[in-house]
Amino acid sequence: MSALKTRQLMAAALLGAAASLSACNPANGTDDAGMDGLKQAEQVSVPDRTSMLAMSCSGCHSEAGQAIVSLEGYSREELMTALMRYHDEADGTTVMHRLMRGYSEADMASISVYLAGDKPL
Amino acid sequence: MSRFPLSRRSVLTGLAGTAALAGLSPAAMSQTKAKLVVIGGGFGGATAAKYLKQLMPGASVTLIEPKSTYYACPFSNLVIGGGRELSAQAFGYDGLKALGIEIVQQAADAVDADARTVTLADGASLSWDRLVMSPGIDFRWGALEGYDEGAVDAMPHAWKAGQQTTLLRRQLEEMEDGGLVVMSAPAAPFRCPPGPYERASLIANYLKTQKPKSKLLVLDAKDSFSKQSLFEEAWAARYPDHLEWRGASDFGRVVAVNPETMTLSTEFDEIEATVANVIPPQQAGRIAHAAGVADQTGWCPINGLTFESTLVPGIHVLGDATIAAPMPKSAFSANLQAKVCAAQITRLLAGQDPEATVLANTCYSYVADDAAVSITGVYTNDDGKLMSVDGAGGVSPLAAAPSVREAEAAQALAWFRTITSEAFG
Repeated sequence: MSALKTRQLMAAALLGAAASLSACNPANGTDDAGMDGLKQAEQVSVPDRTSMLAMSCSGCHSEAGQAIVSLEGYSREELMTALMRYHDEADGTTVMHRLMRGYSEADMASISVYLAGDKPL
Repeated sequence: MSRFPLSRRSVLTGLAGTAALAGLSPAAMSQTKAKLVVIGGGFGGATAAKYLKQLMPGASVTLIEPKSTYYACPFSNLVIGGGRELSAQAFGYDGLKALGIEIVQQAADAVDADARTVTLADGASLSWDRLVMSPGIDFRWGALEGYDEGAVDAMPHAWKAGQQTTLLRRQLEEMEDGGLVVMSAPAAPFRCPPGPYERASLIANYLKTQKPKSKLLVLDAKDSFSKQSLFEEAWAARYPDHLEWRGASDFGRVVAVNPETMTLSTEFDEIEATVANVIPPQQAGRIAHAAGVADQTGWCPINGLTFESTLVPGIHVLGDATIAAPMPKSAFSANLQAKVCAAQITRLLAGQDPEATVLANTCYSYVADDAAVSITGVYTNDDGKLMSVDGAGGVSPLAAAPSVREAEAAQALAWFRTITSEAFG
């Protein structure tokens, strides 16, 4: 399996079964507003706020194989795509849809960088 | 940095690592010899002790908790409904001990904020540089006429998990079919806002399947409650013959109980129960009052940025005991408040100002063995004030397919595993 295909499948898992794979392709997402937010987060270091932002994630997400997906192994692009999708889907009703509506693009970008294990640039 | 950032170690490594980029000295953080004491080994206190120790390995972290086993309240309603054993709710402190946290198995008796000491039940004294209290709730004995400590065997509250949980279950099991179960639900604020209604659902489910001629009557001191439309939808569909809810304006408020006659009195009538579950009025745990961090409401005002008491500097308060509204009194809230508080204490001890962030809450409630609904919230804490973010949060959709409810029941179970591992693992 190609690396790209693997990433697409992982992002699909993040978004849930209803998500379409095309929307999860990082290559398609680079022009999105969300990706601009990601670039800003790379430039503006807000690590302490970010660490605390990610603490909310760790209340539910942990190891793989449970009904709540593990966040291990995703790239920041995949994470940002998923978070933005939850944020933007007006008719979404899952826990993640309801939560992500409360986060700014900058905060979602910071979380994505942090959870991917990347150092803010 | 780890590629697996949500493992316990790497979240913490990430925190320390990124702190360096903001100008903090990781060396200063890890070398602090601060004496940190945590009172209360529930979701808030256990998590706080763990995160403080991992953020500041050089600090002395002591957890004061009189019980060797903690029984978790989340999911304890499933035990009452017969679908789960109490042993699945039990957690110990060996995991925290292994991290280098000292566990003092005693009650905290008094706190001296000026001398910065805690006095234990045996008279010994512990000194602290920062004190974290997660005292949970105590009941306001006698606030509901007739309901004092002597009433809890006849009319269990089961609002602190453990022996009370199994007692209420046993009373339901021993009840002959055709009995009337009565629950008294309190006015807000109280621990776990949707809890009484999850419990009502699971008791009704038990009656429907095991004692079909019996019925549950919920007498409520309120006219509205958490996730109400979702619960009412589930009750109408699943338990039309087994669950009746009476709100305050329908004379639902219980004003007195008599454990000898097993009666509950409203302003309108007197009802004789076969089994009675009285969820009494509540307040912050006793030690909060002794420490002076509770105000005239009986709860603890805090700075939403640091969870430091607004009444007593140097003492941080977490979880159900706090006035953190709009954050609810939930295990998720206590766990997250503990993590954020530990991070802010780390900053304070490193000479840095606390930083604002965004907090969240998610609570699942079962409406039957295999079906659950959820409520979420998102909160900012700029300027020390917790505020709901407009347009975010809310509850599961009404009229959803069974698969949606089943999916949330599965998510609830995953959440329980994660949150208990985060606190006690």
